[in-house]
Amino acid sequence: MSGHGFLLVNYVPGTSLIHRAPLWLKFLVVVGCGMGSFLVVDWVVAAAVLGLMCALFLLSGAGVRRLYQAVRPILPVLLAIGLFQWWQLGGPVAARIVLNILVCVVAASLLTATTPMQRLLDGVVSLAVPFRRFGADPERFALTIAIMLRSIPFIAGAYADVRDSARARGLERNPRALVLPVFITTVAYARQTGDALTARGLGEPDDDDHPDNAGDDGQGTR
Amino acid sequence: MGGIVLDGVTVRVAVDGRPQPRTLLDGISLDLNEQRIGVIGANGSGKSTLLRLLNGLVAPSLGTVTVDGADTVRSVRAVRRQVGFVFTDPLSQLVMPTGREDVELSLRRSVRNSKVRRDAAEAVLNRFGLLPLADQSIYELSGGERQLMALAAVLAVEPAVLVLDEPSTLLDLRNRELLRRTIAGLGQRVVMSTHDLELVRDMDRVLVVESGQVVFDGGADAAVEHYRALTAGIPAGTTVARGATVPQGQPEEA
Repeated sequence: MSGHGFLLVNYVPGTSLIHRAPLWLKFLVVVGCGMGSFLVVDWVVAAAVLGLMCALFLLSGAGVRRLYQAVRPILPVLLAIGLFQWWQLGGPVAARIVLNILVCVVAASLLTATTPMQRLLDGVVSLAVPFRRFGADPERFALTIAIMLRSIPFIAGAYADVRDSARARGLERNPRALVLPVFITTVAYARQTGDALTARGLGEPDDDDHPDNAGDDGQGTR
Repeated sequence: MGGIVLDGVTVRVAVDGRPQPRTLLDGISLDLNEQRIGVIGANGSGKSTLLRLLNGLVAPSLGTVTVDGADTVRSVRAVRRQVGFVFTDPLSQLVMPTGREDVELSLRRSVRNSKVRRDAAEAVLNRFGLLPLADQSIYELSGGERQLMALAAVLAVEPAVLVLDEPSTLLDLRNRELLRRTIAGLGQRVVMSTHDLELVRDMDRVLVVESGQVVFDGGADAAVEHYRALTAGIPAGTTVARGATVPQGQPEEA
């Protein structure tokens, strides 16, 4: 696979203040930025928050290159959104919307850049524990999020490969030649990932609360 | 540990638009006790299906498969704890963004303490010389490094049996050699399908699979010769009666 553009940054080991900050605080910042994007109505405030998020990102030691890599994939989309909103609602609104989206992306990248994935999963498991009474499995919930995060670059890479193939055949303007192969590749990938998870016994209920532990009478899951 | 026993195993799957199911494996009976077992055969011959039976990924339509006495259908979770499975494409196997995180994921169920888990993952990566690559994105690793990372993630939980489904198919010569040496150094029982006939030479016992049947079962050199003859279209006179156990070291007479 040739390409793998990714919105979120992988964990960058470090000992900065942000690395050492409690997970709940980082979660709160991400949620706050998400909520704030609905509440902030002034583009100047949005720009100030974006500046703050970028400063925190750089303070963590993750670097300018990673910051750029985090926002680069969405820049064309933001440009299109910005131009459309400018045309429809004017410059200040367009700037606010674009800046708020950037704030969310940088905040989420700050979280993933300064928190090891296992700690993130532990946090998600802790958050999901109250839902256990409704039948939810916190570990499975966390695994689902991990797979979702990990699948985005694969799909982006699949798209890049298919686009190159379509170009080679002179079909780059044919939507079917782009969409269908990506769809098929993604479904095949999902099936392979499912098989791999099953083979590793991941996502299954814990041993200590599963009937299989009682003996060899449980029907195998596939 | 005890052996892997396949007793009269047939695998059939339904095919859309056809009234009759397709037979992937037909009446296979084997007793696998050797440390290094190879499986060779053409694409679509049934190699992968045979391997997937061992981890419970595929259930037999007829017959039974047991690993150390545990049935792969009735005690599938116990079987999966004993049998690790490495797929051809490590990208579909590595679930987490980096190798370290993927090895830690393997250990999540057995090691609850995150510090202990981190240390255990580090030890596993170190054992395979992968520690310098531990924090790199899996997309930045070479094919061989990815395959070794997938291998480390599976071996982290210390399975007694390691099943590898064409692990060298996507690798260049150098990485293939690296993988071969790594596999040779493992203490686990290894069952591996491959198209790499050099890799097969290291095996104690090799099965040749053709059209859903084991048409040869014996030593590596003889198996490779048999497979070469088979692919060259030379009639080998080697079919296996349904449900019959293939005697070791020689092809079964028609």
